[in-house]
Amino acid sequence: MFDRSAALALLQLGDSAFPAGGFAFSWGIEGLAADGLLSNRGDLDGVIADHLAQRWASMDRILLRRAWQANDIAAIAAADRLAEATTPSAEMRDGSRRAGRALLGVWVKLSGPLAVSYRARVSADANLGHLAVVQAITGRDAGLGLEAAELVSGWTLITGLVSAAVRLGLIGHIESQRSLATARARLTELLAETPDDDAMPSSFTPFIDIAVSRGPLRHVRMFTT
Amino acid sequence: MSRLALTRADEPMTAARVGIGGPVGSGKTALVERLIPALQTRGIDIAVITNDLVTAEDAERVRRSGLIDPERVSAVEAGACPHTVIREDPTLNIEAADELERRFPGVELILLESGGDNLASTFSRDLTDFWMFVIDVAGGDDIPRKRGPGVIRADLLVINKVDLAPHVGVDLGRMQREATEVRGGRPVLLTNCRRGEGIEAIVDLLEREVLFRK
Repeated sequence: MFDRSAALALLQLGDSAFPAGGFAFSWGIEGLAADGLLSNRGDLDGVIADHLAQRWASMDRILLRRAWQANDIAAIAAADRLAEATTPSAEMRDGSRRAGRALLGVWVKLSGPLAVSYRARVSADANLGHLAVVQAITGRDAGLGLEAAELVSGWTLITGLVSAAVRLGLIGHIESQRSLATARARLTELLAETPDDDAMPSSFTPFIDIAVSRGPLRHVRMFTT
Repeated sequence: MSRLALTRADEPMTAARVGIGGPVGSGKTALVERLIPALQTRGIDIAVITNDLVTAEDAERVRRSGLIDPERVSAVEAGACPHTVIREDPTLNIEAADELERRFPGVELILLESGGDNLASTFSRDLTDFWMFVIDVAGGDDIPRKRGPGVIRADLLVINKVDLAPHVGVDLGRMQREATEVRGGRPVLLTNCRRGEGIEAIVDLLEREVLFRK
């Protein structure tokens, strides 16, 4: 049965216009394009597929699930520290924290109770506030189920990557819709598989990690990552 | 409603946040470089955020100026969306300002320089308590008549590079009158940031309207 209320909540929270700073993160798209490794829709679809399968599904999703199942603030912070420890690239870590803290800040202003509690912890520890963990917190505050929170997490990654590609002039507005549809199908496949509860986060996206890590060395740079 | 007016009595007082927007090349960074020592001379504890469009050029310029502790200058990338980062989705700038307040608890005023843009940019009231829009005479004396949202809605309109007026065929008096007219009499101030002229009048206004010191 179609749940209109849940669908509308997903449209609001998964909207690229949701004010959490997502437009400023390209997660490697800008760097890969600058290095000549990404120049058309085919390349973009490959990068998005890598992001989804080799990073989001095995890393961000696992962290989100751990934070979702955490019983208290300390357990959430433990998942957050795991995010910090398992992300080798300093730029990736910084980007994840900046994106997470921006999202957390919005939900503090929206009076999300878990967000308010966790913000106090994040303010006292510079290593906390990773995006996947905050997505679990805000999903819980928004009253979503775990599956819906995972869907929003994966979808906002996709829309962020495609939107960055459009703004960088790599694809046009029509092609962007084709890329979104391709990525949507891949995300659906990934969400159909349920990770083990004790799964550890891992990722293998070396080209993306290097592209993000080289960001500070680039003179021309529009995105945070 | 101003952001300060939304601060509850039981919340710690935060720094006033002052936005500076305007077209590319109008002199926003030059104004920041003049405001920093002028504010410091009056004993005002400040920090700076820049929203560079494609590089960290402005942030680096301010950091290397020797005018302010480089740790007090933060850069926020705008993802090619200079409007969005100060209006529709100012969260990254808000986080940067909150972070500066955490690191420098006594900070009283944070200058937030927008990436260079056109006449349509405006600042969110959730981000700034006061914002000014900087145009310059070399951009043409018809800018006020175009009634862009930046010109109309800013708390203060600054017309910079006034020394160039005779060289670019601009009637400065008329430009100022028309600017005041389209803004319904709200403040319009003239500057020559290169020589530091007109800066004290802006600081007077900030002390009176933003810091409530006068």
